[in-house]
Amino acid sequence: MLESLAEFAIQGIVLGGLYALFAVGLTLIFGVLDVINVAHGEFFAIGGYLAFATIVVLHWPGAAGVAGAAVGTFLLGLGVYPLLLAPLKRRLGARPRGPLYLVLTLGLSTFLQSSLLAAAGGDYLRVPPYAGGVLDLSFTAVSHQRLLVLVVSIVLLGGLFLFLRFHREGLAVRAVAQNPDAAQAMGINLPRVFALTLALGVGLAGAGGALMAPLFNVYPTVGFPLTIKAFAITILGGMGNLAGALVASFLISLAEAFSVMLIPSEWQNAIAFAVMIVMLLLRPSGLLGGGGRR
Amino acid sequence: MLRVADVRSGYGKLEILQSVSLAVGEGEIVGLIGPNGAGKSTLLKTAFGYLAPFAGEVALEGRPLVGLRPDQVVRLGVGYVAQAGGLFADMTVHENLLLGGYALRSSREARAAVDDLYARFPLFAARRRQPAGSLSGGEQRILAVARALAVRPRLLLLDEPSAALAPRFIADVYDTIRALNGGGIAMLIVEQNVEAILAVAHRVFVLDLGRNAFDGTPAELRASDRIRRLYLGEDEG
Repeated sequence: MLESLAEFAIQGIVLGGLYALFAVGLTLIFGVLDVINVAHGEFFAIGGYLAFATIVVLHWPGAAGVAGAAVGTFLLGLGVYPLLLAPLKRRLGARPRGPLYLVLTLGLSTFLQSSLLAAAGGDYLRVPPYAGGVLDLSFTAVSHQRLLVLVVSIVLLGGLFLFLRFHREGLAVRAVAQNPDAAQAMGINLPRVFALTLALGVGLAGAGGALMAPLFNVYPTVGFPLTIKAFAITILGGMGNLAGALVASFLISLAEAFSVMLIPSEWQNAIAFAVMIVMLLLRPSGLLGGGGRR
Repeated sequence: MLRVADVRSGYGKLEILQSVSLAVGEGEIVGLIGPNGAGKSTLLKTAFGYLAPFAGEVALEGRPLVGLRPDQVVRLGVGYVAQAGGLFADMTVHENLLLGGYALRSSREARAAVDDLYARFPLFAARRRQPAGSLSGGEQRILAVARALAVRPRLLLLDEPSAALAPRFIADVYDTIRALNGGGIAMLIVEQNVEAILAVAHRVFVLDLGRNAFDGTPAELRASDRIRRLYLGEDEG
C-alpha cells in the first residue's frame, strides 16, 4: 500500500512539473495582458515539432532540441502582441476587449493547428528519449526521461521566478501586472512588456512540448487538452497568481495520480474539471486569490 | 517650462477640457484647483501623455509632448504622481523605488538613484523590505513622490497629493513638496485641499467646466470675491 502511494506520488510530481511549466506561462500572460491565450497548447505542439526537426531530422542532441524549441516558440511569441493583439486593441479603442481577445486567440489556435496539420501531416511523430534508462527506487522505477522533465521544469520555472524577482525587466513585468498606468509613469514601455510576457509564456509551453515529445509523441492537437486543463489549474490557483498556478499544478497532478486508487482510470481526466467547478462555486478567486491587476 | 495651449481633451468622445491654457515656469509651483469634474486630473493626464488631446498644444521647453506615451514623457524629465499614489502595493518599498529608476540607462544607475533616495528619505531605508501597501497613507504618498524623483525630474505633476490623508500626513507631504521645490523642481499640483496648495503655490489656475476661470497668485485669488465665493466655498463678507 505504501509503495503504491509513493509510486503515485512520484507520477503526480513528475506530471505536476509539466502542468506547472504550462499553466504558469498561461497565468503569467493572463496576469499581465488580461488575455486568456487559447492558443497556448499550439505553442506546446510547435515546441514538439521543433524538437522533432532538431533531433530526428537534423540529428542534433536532445538539449539542442529543447533549447531550440524554447527559443523558437519565444521568438514566435514575440510577434503575437504586435501583430495580433495590439492592432485589435487599437481598433477597439475604449470598448471591452476581453471577449474579442478570447475569440482572436481561439482563431490563432485553430490557425496554428491547421497549419501544423497542413505542413507536417496528422501522423504521430516519435522523438527518442533524451535520457535512457530508469531510476530504480526499489518500490518503483522512474524513467530518466520523466525525471529529466521534472528537473528541467524546475530549472525553467526557478529561472522565471528569479527573473521576475530580481531582473529589471522582470520587475517591469510584475509592475505592469499590478498597475499598467503606474508602470507607464515609471518609464515602462507597455507594448514591449506585453510582447516579452507573451513570448516568455509561450516559450515555456514550447520547452514543455519539447520535453514531453518523447512521452506524448507529436501531433497537431497534442497541446489542446493541456490548454483546457491549464484553465482548471489557473482557476484553482487564482487567475493571474503565479504561485497559485504552481501550487495548483501539483495539487491537480497529485489528485489525478492518486484518483486511480479510488476510481476507474477513465475518470482521471474529469478530476481537474470537477475541482475547477467546485472551486468556481465555492471560492471563485482561487486558492491563493487572484493576482494581477488591482 | 511646461506650456499647455488651447487644449481640448477627454475620454473617448466625451470632451472634458474645452480649451484650457496654462504654463509652469522654471522652479515654480503651480496649483490647479476647481470643483469636481472641472477637468483638473484630465489636464494632468493629457500633459503626461495618458490622454491624447483632441486639439491644442502641450510642450516642455518648446518640445511638443502631444503624441508621446507616458514612458517617453518620463524620459524628458517629467515625473507623475497619481491621485492615490499609484504604488505597486504588493511589491516592496525597495522594488517600488527601483522601478522609479527604470527609465535610467542601466540597473546600476537605478540602484545608485535608490541609494540617494534612501539618504534623503531614511525612513524608507529602514523599511525597504516591507510591502509598499503596508505603509501608512502619508508614507505611501511620500514614497510615491520619492519614487518619481529617482529619474531626477525637472517637473513633477502631482494629482491630489493630500487626498484621503489625515491632517498630520498632509503636513508631511507638503513639507516634502516644499523641500523638493527648494531644490529647483517645478511642480504642477492638482489639489482639492485649497488651503494646502495656496500655502505653497507661486501661482494658481482655477478650472471650471473644462475652461480657465482664474490665473494669478494665491494673494490675488484670495482678493477676488467672485473666485472665493464660487470656488473656495466662502461666504460673502
